[in-house]
Amino acid sequence: MTRRILERLAASVAVVFGASTLIFLILNWLPGDTAALIAGEGATEETLVRIRAQLGLNQPLGHQYWEYMTGLLHGDLGRSYATRAPVLQELAAQFPSTASLAVAAASVAIVVGVPLGVAAAANRGRVLDHIIQVVGLALNSIPTFWLGLLAILLFSVHLRWLPILGGRGVLASVLPAGCLGLAMSIPVQRLVRSGILEALQEPYITTLRAKGLRATRIFGVHVLRNVAISTITLVGVLVGELFSGLVVVETLFARPGLGRLAVYAVGNKDIPLVQGAILVTSVTYVVVNLLVDLSYAWIDPRVRLASNGDA
Amino acid sequence: MNARRRAILSSAAVAVLACGALHCSKTDREASAASRIRTGGAPAPGGELVFGFDGAAITEFNLDPEKSAFAPHHRVMRSIVDSLVVALPGHQFGPWLAKSWEVSPDGRAYTFHLRDDVAFHDGTKFDAEAVKFNIDRVNDPKNALYALSDIGPCSGVTVVDPYTVRINFSAPYSAFLANLAKSSLGIVSPTAVRKYGDDFPHHPVGTGPFRFRSLEPAVEIALERNPDYKWPPAGATHAGAAWLERLTFKNVPEEATRVAVLLNGQANAIDLVPPQNLVQFRSSPEYALVEGELLNHNYSLYLNVKRPPWDDERVRAAFRDSLDLDAAVKTVYLGTLERAWSPLSPSIFGYDKTLEHSWHADRERAGRSLEEIGWKKGPDGIRVKDGKSLTVVFVDTQGNREKRLDLMTVLRKQLRDTGFDLKLDSQPSSAYLGKVGAGEYDLVAGSLFAPDPDVLRRIYSHKLKTAFGVSKVEDSVLEALLDAGSEESDPGTRAAIYAKVQHIVVEKVYAIPTYVLKYNVATSQSVRNVAIDVNGFPVFYDTWIAQ
Repeated sequence: MTRRILERLAASVAVVFGASTLIFLILNWLPGDTAALIAGEGATEETLVRIRAQLGLNQPLGHQYWEYMTGLLHGDLGRSYATRAPVLQELAAQFPSTASLAVAAASVAIVVGVPLGVAAAANRGRVLDHIIQVVGLALNSIPTFWLGLLAILLFSVHLRWLPILGGRGVLASVLPAGCLGLAMSIPVQRLVRSGILEALQEPYITTLRAKGLRATRIFGVHVLRNVAISTITLVGVLVGELFSGLVVVETLFARPGLGRLAVYAVGNKDIPLVQGAILVTSVTYVVVNLLVDLSYAWIDPRVRLASNGDA
Repeated sequence: MNARRRAILSSAAVAVLACGALHCSKTDREASAASRIRTGGAPAPGGELVFGFDGAAITEFNLDPEKSAFAPHHRVMRSIVDSLVVALPGHQFGPWLAKSWEVSPDGRAYTFHLRDDVAFHDGTKFDAEAVKFNIDRVNDPKNALYALSDIGPCSGVTVVDPYTVRINFSAPYSAFLANLAKSSLGIVSPTAVRKYGDDFPHHPVGTGPFRFRSLEPAVEIALERNPDYKWPPAGATHAGAAWLERLTFKNVPEEATRVAVLLNGQANAIDLVPPQNLVQFRSSPEYALVEGELLNHNYSLYLNVKRPPWDDERVRAAFRDSLDLDAAVKTVYLGTLERAWSPLSPSIFGYDKTLEHSWHADRERAGRSLEEIGWKKGPDGIRVKDGKSLTVVFVDTQGNREKRLDLMTVLRKQLRDTGFDLKLDSQPSSAYLGKVGAGEYDLVAGSLFAPDPDVLRRIYSHKLKTAFGVSKVEDSVLEALLDAGSEESDPGTRAAIYAKVQHIVVEKVYAIPTYVLKYNVATSQSVRNVAIDVNGFPVFYDTWIAQ
């Protein structure tokens, strides 16, 4: 098991390294002059030259890359071109908001999506199943932006139950997390439903039935465990996406977040800041994937036994 | 006084109504607009104003007034920093941190006599050395500060005595007082600038009625009352510290959300109310609305005259004839904004009223003229000449701020009717600047908030132009006029010079001005006396909250 984790981590480092390098090259290849963006439209050529020298932009690309990578290995993400503040500090200011929103939204997606999926599968072809599918389709077709606006109108303006502003406060997170979570719950619900229906066709279910196991036990233990693996994988991917920030929801609910930070940094060619944001995202993906992998071992005896075997 | 001045709510105008005295030069229309601000009851100290402002979806708050070029950040800074002089209605200037001033006969030296009882929020004494530090800081190109363009040909600062300072110029510079009254030349603490260095934009220290407390990037800037404040500008309605205990700016970039936080009570004031909600706030007894023209170089379309088809003035004229701005502005802003006739907004000194109604849409003339030059309509309705289609690319980076892309979309439809194919090309700001620098565009557009017609020189002077300038015009007549206007000290002569400039820009179709922006603040009814200054920025010094 330990070896498995170590292998995973080694592969992850390669992924993060590759992502950083690729982003570095892409950003440098993009048109536009960082110095001009910092100096503003009225800047003279002399000012631009000075700014480039200050930021090290006059160095060859290879040198800049080397500087960045060595800094990274020392835990130094560099300084933002635009604000001159340490990138780590800028990211730390935005990360908690993004993380809490991602976790809350994923929880909503699971709490809503899984029971609905089970209910739909249990009532396959009946009215309840149809209702769940139609409502799901409708929710899936509404952009989060619009859903968020409607939620604001109803819950914040009309009923005055929930605040909009409040940054990281729990109450202020209910609406954005609810909207995102509802949107995310649709694929979860569909996957659970189809997973259950598929699993019920498997020969081992017939065997279990023949063995005389009660239907609730077959369903609760064997079918759900089977469905859990694919569901957790899907939620992992969704959480990874959430952690990269959601510029639309952040803007609509006036929240801080990595999405706004990254979009702004890309627009301004603030390369260290973009690198930092990408780094956070790729590390998050890696960690989430690792957790998903580990959960397989916990859920699926075959994975567990196989890894015990080679440990 | 210019009769077209509408709804300019300066702090001075508010003062007139609150005290019912002084300043007899106000027009009736100004007075009736200002009367909509609730002023009843006695002001009481205390309370918090939560101001939901449109700070755009960016994460950095740059609160260095001399560095930031971003109007929303200046709306915050106006409460933190004071200026040497204050702009008053009717193109007059009043004392603020400077008690009085003289301009030398040759217009090259401005001597300011400063108040001796002013201190910065960090305890540093405000004096002639502090003023010198600020102007020298701006004047040093190494610092690359935005305010550099506000001091023109400044050649240095002399400290005459501890409270007298002289600012020298290598050539007369008539725009100086107007620029000096802007928050971009607000005076900051030299001690704090040295102490915080690169981080000063996140620790602003001025002498203003509110001092900086804290900020949360992208989200919030918290200010608190400066209890020692006793140096308000001319035109304020009271002396001493501000009434509000706390002033909190919340960045709410989405307009629908801004309206929602005012409606649900999370904010008691918001700015830039979208047109569809303006009417609602105007008529509701539970809310009050303050509007004021932003002194501005109007949002204008700049035609790249260096590149075909715009190198032919006739095509430019046909392009303009194709645009029905009256209809477009009305459609997009629902009648809440006026269309523009001149590059300058109507309240800027030198605005030429004779341009009003002097040019209109004329699609027939546009079509005729294009036919004559040889641009014939192709099968898809787009004109073609020598195998090239009449396609113009509009490069943009700002998105739909102030509904600008909505406006362009309406214009696009109008242009199609006469055979122009307008393409909208939205780019991140880095790529945008790259394209502008390389001249790879047919149209760009922009506005520039400015209190003086000298702003025209910053845009159209070929001599002062940098690679990223929006206008590519090279016109020696225009150049000479812009230089003369900058140096001329006689108001009448100066206004006549700028009238000519405005006529040239419009007649030669170097640019097409579109709409006149009004800045607005909506408040809940308990909030009294929010003012918009002459330049179009919100002032909270006299604001108080009724219990």
